[in-house]
Amino acid sequence: MSDVKPIRIFMTGVGGQGTLTATTLLTQTVLHLGLPVTSGEIHGMAQRGGVVESTVLIGCKSPKIGHGEADVLLGFEPMETLRALPYLKPGGTVFSSSEYMLPLSVATGRETCPSLDEVETAVKACTDDFRFLPCQTLGLEAGAVQAGNIALLGALAASGKTPVTVEAMAEAIRANMKAKIVDVNLKALELGAKQDA
Amino acid sequence: MPHPLLADNPGETHLLLGNEAIVRGAVEAGIQVVTCYPGTPSSEAPDTFFRLSPEGKYYFEYSVNEKVALEVGGGATLAGALTLTTMKHVGVNVAADPLMTLCYTGAPGGFVLLSADDPGCHSSQNEQDNRIYARLGGMPVFEPSTAQEAKDMTRDALAMSKKHEAPVMLRTTTRVNHLRGPVEFGNAPDPGKAKGFTKNPSRFVPIPAFSRRMHLELLDRLDALREEAEKSPYNTVSGAGEIGIAASGISRAYLCDALENAGLKGKVKVFDLGMSYPLPETMALDFMKGLKKLLVVEELEPVLENELRVLAQKNSLDIEIFGKNLLPQNGEFTVTMVENAVREVAGEQAVTVDCCEGRDNLPMRPPNLCAGCPHRGAFFATREVFGDDAIYSSDIGCYTLGLLPPLSCADFLLCMGSSVSAGGGAALAAGQTVVAFIGDSTFFHSGLSGLANAVFNQHDLLLVILDNYTTAMTGHQPNPGVHHTVLGENPSRVDIAKSCEGVGVEVIRKVNPLNRKKTVAALEELKDMKGVRVLIAEEPCPLYARRITRQSKPQVAYVTENCSGRYECLEKLACPAIYKDGDKAAVNELLCSGCMLCLQICPNIKAKKRG
Repeated sequence: MSDVKPIRIFMTGVGGQGTLTATTLLTQTVLHLGLPVTSGEIHGMAQRGGVVESTVLIGCKSPKIGHGEADVLLGFEPMETLRALPYLKPGGTVFSSSEYMLPLSVATGRETCPSLDEVETAVKACTDDFRFLPCQTLGLEAGAVQAGNIALLGALAASGKTPVTVEAMAEAIRANMKAKIVDVNLKALELGAKQDA
Repeated sequence: MPHPLLADNPGETHLLLGNEAIVRGAVEAGIQVVTCYPGTPSSEAPDTFFRLSPEGKYYFEYSVNEKVALEVGGGATLAGALTLTTMKHVGVNVAADPLMTLCYTGAPGGFVLLSADDPGCHSSQNEQDNRIYARLGGMPVFEPSTAQEAKDMTRDALAMSKKHEAPVMLRTTTRVNHLRGPVEFGNAPDPGKAKGFTKNPSRFVPIPAFSRRMHLELLDRLDALREEAEKSPYNTVSGAGEIGIAASGISRAYLCDALENAGLKGKVKVFDLGMSYPLPETMALDFMKGLKKLLVVEELEPVLENELRVLAQKNSLDIEIFGKNLLPQNGEFTVTMVENAVREVAGEQAVTVDCCEGRDNLPMRPPNLCAGCPHRGAFFATREVFGDDAIYSSDIGCYTLGLLPPLSCADFLLCMGSSVSAGGGAALAAGQTVVAFIGDSTFFHSGLSGLANAVFNQHDLLLVILDNYTTAMTGHQPNPGVHHTVLGENPSRVDIAKSCEGVGVEVIRKVNPLNRKKTVAALEELKDMKGVRVLIAEEPCPLYARRITRQSKPQVAYVTENCSGRYECLEKLACPAIYKDGDKAAVNELLCSGCMLCLQICPNIKAKKRG
């Protein structure tokens, strides 16, 4: 395994958002590229609305990422991006959705979410290499709000930060997703990839 | 075309979840009987067996609890079937009684117990280390660290069990059950028919006279299995030097990456233990020879560490052994944690990991009852009737979340089924009304025997059975009470009310918990009574209804312009579909399941057609 440069990708989102679908797709893409890959997910008590964290590791044996170990952080929700920042290596890469999914305590007015500016400031303190995308909007534009995750993967693929390419990801979508959702996800992938161009 | 997990398709590589890899391993071994009680992190294994059961060549069942699962599996292996029984770690506590005896009688058809442990308590009440059970009973242990190993070890553990007629433990941890990796398939032979039962009472009936001999036979079997461990392909020694590291389970993966990071690969000696019990002592001694220092890397208890310490002491080895003095005895490890333990033993400076700063005190996303969850109605009505005057005895399921304010309907909890029995105990000691809550699956798991006990011992208990037609928390598995499963109608449903009647409960009421008035009225009536009374709150879990029976309610709630901003709906129900919008409450129509509970507490919320 030592001949492949290790890359650790940490993903975080909110239950019901499709974080695990995106994780599996990214893992399948890496596998299609012939690289050693392992991924992990933690979703114990995460009913709908709980935090879902997952990992994709290229060239590693362990499925887990500790604090300061992630090369890339993919946040499918901005507050979760902020919460997961300690996992990122300083100077690592961040792709995050800019659109919130409010937790119950915020929806009921008992607490407030940090603003997008605050999230960006915290991210900037760790790295210059970040990009925020309106994932839900892009998902809706593609045809389904859940496809927003795939848009974020599109931006990652287009960035060249990992061996994963947009073409390889499109191939994995065609090979692994149910026929009726392939087009929506290909469209979301393209929309996300364009954002990074 | 058969499903890839069942097909005889050697050489193919598939990306599998650890739990799916276990299924494939069992298929490659020619599995004949699978029993289980679901529980995170084990559930995807039995759920996959269940989903594929119409085309699989094995018998599968969701048993009512872990003890029953192990007994059904035990009976099957005694009658010659190659058998796998799956459960989460705390389930083994429930199954421990038959397990200990099965280790004495042995398993003629072969028997593997999947024990899915949960270091870090991702979804459990404790982080007990079930490798200790294996030592207590005398069963070999396999501990995979990758998806490929999860498949291969399941296959080989079953084969070894069959060869030695000894029950074997396949011990995983959450990270292994829920990792995903490429798995290269082997052959999937036709399992054929089970051998059948061969009468031999002196072997299979553990009366004391026979048990004494059985114990000796068990010890002999363990000696033979130690020889297997000596030559197991999963136990290897690599590298060189005067520093040694022994690792088992997922820690082997952490160690592999840690050595890579530290640039110490090949410069230290590594003892990889995939088949970790019985300890291959000859191999271990060989490994320890010439070492000055030894680090043992294993999550949770110092099981391997202690065994290696004993071995070193017995053989008067001059070796400094590190383990739990450098690595924690609780929670999970990380690669960096392991790297620093290795560095310390190697006399190198620890790495400090720079990590980005997040922010403390961010709003949390605690698990919460879903929008439309019927438990919310049951808890809301209970608080309306009893407030803080009753003691609430809770149980294990989604409804444990009734703990959270504002519903606050869980004061104590011990284990599956304890709401009934511990509820009775608390009532007699406290002299206070106890209201116990139990779900349908947990009721059949171990609530029934507590209920019979409560009737027999004349406990004073109001038991609310929250029948949502499914085992919701672990992913909608069937239980004896369900009407439908993912495969269709349940042809042999066990009726909850009749079961209560059968064990002697005289007062039984039924309500739909989403009907506030009727639920409150029923609770008021039961409040004034003494003895064992049961209220069955019946309404399907909305997620189950949507996914399994494809039903959803045609209406959604909305807040009218007359909203006074009292926010009673928000403060009393904590429904995730209701939020504050400026100075008024509002309903998220996408989340609203149409349960209409909120309409019953505020006149300014109305119903309208969905969409």
